[in-house]
Amino acid sequence: MELLTRFTFVSACLFAEWAVTFIAVANCSISPSEMNGDSALKLPSAVIPVSQKSTLGSFYSLSLSSTFPEDLEVNEYCTELLRIYGQRYVTFANCLVTYARPVRVCQNCYTGFNSLEDIYKNISFDKSAPGNVSCHDSLMRSDRLMLLYTLFIKLDEIWTSAECKQCLNEDQDALSNDTLYFMATLNQSLSCFEQYQRNHTELCKDCKTSYKRLNEVYGRMEKNQMLCIDLEDAMNMTQHLWSKNFRCLLPREETVPVIAVSSFMLFLPIIFYLSSFLHSEQKKRKLIHPKRVKSSSSLMNIQDKFS
Amino acid sequence: MANIAKKVSWSGRGDDRGERTPLLNGDEEVKYNRQLSGGGIFHIGRLSTVDLEEEITPEEDIVRSRPKEIPHNEKLLSLKFESLDYDNSENQLFLEEERRMSHMGFRCLEIRRWVICGLIGFLTGLIACMIDIAVEKLAGYKYFAVKLNIEKYTELGGLSISLILWAVLNSAFVMFGAIAVAFVEPIAAGSGIPQIKCFLNGVKIPRVVRLKTLVIKVFGVICSVAGGLAVGKEGPMIHSGAVVAAGVSQGRSTSLKKDFKIFEYFRRDTEKRDFVSAGAAAGVSAAFGAPVGGVLFSLEEGASFWNQMLTWRIFFASMVSTFTLNFFLSIYHGKPGELSSPGLINFGRFDSDSVQYNLYEIPLFIIMGALGGVLGALFNIINYWLTIFRIRYIHRPCLQVMEAMLVAAVTATVSFAMIYFSNDCQPLGQDNTEEYPLQLFCADGEYNSMATAFFNTPERSVRSLFHNPPGTYNPVTLGVFTLAYFFLAVWTYGLTVSAGVFIPSLLIGAAWGRLFGILLSFIASSQSIWADPGKYALIGAAAQLGGIVRMTLSLTVILVEATGNVTYGFPIMLVLMTAKIVGDYFIEGLYDIHIKLQSVPFLHSDAPPTSHWLTAREVMSSPVTCFNRVEKVGRIVDVLSNTSTIHNGFPVVAHTSENDEPGKICGLILRSQLIVLLKHKVFVERASSRLSQRKLQLKDFRDAYPRFPPIQSIHVSQDERECMMDLTEFMNPTPYTVPQETSLPRVFKLFRALGLRHLVVVDNENRVVGLVTRKDLARYHVGKDGLEELHLAQT
Repeated sequence: MELLTRFTFVSACLFAEWAVTFIAVANCSISPSEMNGDSALKLPSAVIPVSQKSTLGSFYSLSLSSTFPEDLEVNEYCTELLRIYGQRYVTFANCLVTYARPVRVCQNCYTGFNSLEDIYKNISFDKSAPGNVSCHDSLMRSDRLMLLYTLFIKLDEIWTSAECKQCLNEDQDALSNDTLYFMATLNQSLSCFEQYQRNHTELCKDCKTSYKRLNEVYGRMEKNQMLCIDLEDAMNMTQHLWSKNFRCLLPREETVPVIAVSSFMLFLPIIFYLSSFLHSEQKKRKLIHPKRVKSSSSLMNIQDKFS
Repeated sequence: MANIAKKVSWSGRGDDRGERTPLLNGDEEVKYNRQLSGGGIFHIGRLSTVDLEEEITPEEDIVRSRPKEIPHNEKLLSLKFESLDYDNSENQLFLEEERRMSHMGFRCLEIRRWVICGLIGFLTGLIACMIDIAVEKLAGYKYFAVKLNIEKYTELGGLSISLILWAVLNSAFVMFGAIAVAFVEPIAAGSGIPQIKCFLNGVKIPRVVRLKTLVIKVFGVICSVAGGLAVGKEGPMIHSGAVVAAGVSQGRSTSLKKDFKIFEYFRRDTEKRDFVSAGAAAGVSAAFGAPVGGVLFSLEEGASFWNQMLTWRIFFASMVSTFTLNFFLSIYHGKPGELSSPGLINFGRFDSDSVQYNLYEIPLFIIMGALGGVLGALFNIINYWLTIFRIRYIHRPCLQVMEAMLVAAVTATVSFAMIYFSNDCQPLGQDNTEEYPLQLFCADGEYNSMATAFFNTPERSVRSLFHNPPGTYNPVTLGVFTLAYFFLAVWTYGLTVSAGVFIPSLLIGAAWGRLFGILLSFIASSQSIWADPGKYALIGAAAQLGGIVRMTLSLTVILVEATGNVTYGFPIMLVLMTAKIVGDYFIEGLYDIHIKLQSVPFLHSDAPPTSHWLTAREVMSSPVTCFNRVEKVGRIVDVLSNTSTIHNGFPVVAHTSENDEPGKICGLILRSQLIVLLKHKVFVERASSRLSQRKLQLKDFRDAYPRFPPIQSIHVSQDERECMMDLTEFMNPTPYTVPQETSLPRVFKLFRALGLRHLVVVDNENRVVGLVTRKDLARYHVGKDGLEELHLAQT
């Protein structure tokens, strides 16, 4: 579980950076032709150096001067869609990064995801677009990069692997009741932990009931597949607190009886083999005398012959 | 002294009689003969040891001046084993039948052979599937119960109760399996691979291919694997496949007394043995998901009788078997039609990019191979002594059951103690590969790493050793586990339960191989190619298995197929070669040891290398009991019912003179044929009355196959004893013969290549002087100081 958390976190971070970088590049390549500069996205300042690093500057200045004929241009409606997509994308990516550690993405970013998904669907299933070319074709499928598609798919993958849908209700617009209940239980445990911060032995004894209930709730939800990364992470941290920080481990105090029973068991075969060696009758084989040709030609003679 | 023929006199007792080994004392021999022939009706002078068999009554023992008794050891040949009649008897009945059969008839036969092979594959796959599911369910219940119990008592205290519960559950499962094997069908014990090897070699092991054996085998293996013994279910699959083949091809079951009246043509040893090789291949293929490996296994074990069409049919059977298993398992797993989960043991995929290897790793692999050879030899040596002890002292069924139960209990105890005292805690995996993670004293969210190895069926443990990411096991855990499991596995193999040695060997090897990989990555600090211990686990598993069973070609292919990665073919081959070379230096393979200890007259692929000076004259049994072409019924009955010398083949001579001059050979007739003849009363005097009856056909011989009635059950009246019987029609008119001067390797080659049962030795006037059988050849083997000779013994 810890592994999962760590993995997701790292990949989320990596991806967020990567995505933002790409937005910048995309923005640069589109804006000269159609978009006006104002509608360009507000890029996080940290990312700008990355785009500046690119050595394509001379290429841009070239492309600025050239325009394509009307029918190949992206129409305005589509440009608007693109702009909204960009905004929502940034909002969502920003949210993901903000709540990456400790993981709270499902609780905080589901609105962002839903709106991004909406606009993506709008673009993909766009039928009512004025003009001949649908926005789906002109925005998503006109080049081999297929940027909008790739960007969305990556984020969608993250969302799926985080299993956030399992924590939300059926309409995906709020946290489910089970999730809320779990959080309430978790908070009880945590407040209990806080209460006994000083004395760990006390804590182990007194918070045990609430901790146990938390475990039960978690176990039940796990069985019903109602866990998402948020809950897993929270539980992970709690378990870590409980076992590693407060050292509420079960004592290994039965060593003597276990050793006694084990050595008794190990002793049995020795008795068994000894007794069967001493008491069981040894199995004997009766030799049979095979009939051979007269002894004159038996092995003995041949042996003599050779020696 | 170029060749020393050393007599082996293995006597645990004093040397009072050890000096005079019975094979040498010809004088004494003659004395017995006189005594017996003086006794009356038996023509002892013509008796030979063709195929001596079974009971010699106590009275005769006394006459034989107390035959020497020695403790059981490996240098014996048992009398209870006979050869298969692989060679076809081309008598007149056979020729007639062939003449009657149309061209279409032969076509149909060929088609029927294919149908049978398909059926063999199908049924074998089905059985494999059944075993798999049953084991999974039973082991699941057991581990679930124990896990709940352990969890409960970890908190409350009283873990020794969990220990006892585990031990009792194990023992109970194993008890059922052991009782079935020990009391109902002892031949079903062990993996069955030695027995099938013998059968393919041409030895008829009593009861080995019966339906009852199959049932006990399947039941036994389910019990022993579910009982948590250090065993696998793969070896028994091979045996099961063979039994299925032998049963299906005959179209009837004598155990159930049911005859389906189909496939009657195939009721002979020749056909049966071909089908059994197909069955064994199907078994391997179902067990490992390795159809080619299965074919090669049959090829390796039964290589002397082979042809192209047969190979192709065997391959068909193996493919069908894998396919069937896949199909039914896919239904069981709820994905009907998905055919990509092959084999009982699924090693999982080794993706080629995650576990690539480099040229500089080859020496490491070879070192691991050598290590595997040494460990395998150690395994075999310990198991050899243990098996001798078991044969000598633990031969009563109730003792055997008790032993098996004790082993089960101790296995549980050792596992529990290991888990209890292990401090190796690992975080629960991302994909939760552990079926039954035990927390015990680990922190919440972690599990006991020792428990993944011990608290699991062996197959799963192997898989987790192969595939779990680096860092899942710490070195100490692996070391302790290897040690404990090694001894448990040595101890377990040879118990009276049906169980195989493949999986435990793989598990031991995988454990130390993984350890090796981890240590390597410690030494070479760079995290490059060394990092993946799963690769070394695989190589270690191959080395250990190769060191124990010493199979070569087929094992390589099986492992390559089971891992689904051809790029590993080369290292696996190297490792198996090294393991075999190193291991053979110490002791032979486990299966060969067990074949020897069962005193089977097994013919290896070649005669002993220093045996060219031995001629057929020394090898053969002599004198030979012969029959005349037209023989008196009374004499035939007497010879057949002589219990002291049960022969199975009798040369038919033109005319035996009274003064014991050997006659000229004109044919060979088998005991089974004579019995059928006597049963149908085919006497010359009755020929006239028989005209009204139906003429005897080959079918009558086949109907009696494979269990011909004993001679005692055939009643021959005093009048009939005076009748004559004409054997001309029924004998094999052209038996293979060799002159007396033929060397042993020549005789051996003839035997091995043609699958002979009897080879008549003649002098230069074509008179019968002796008879060579399998036991006459198998008794020579190369020991520590040159050629040695094995004793014949009753077992």
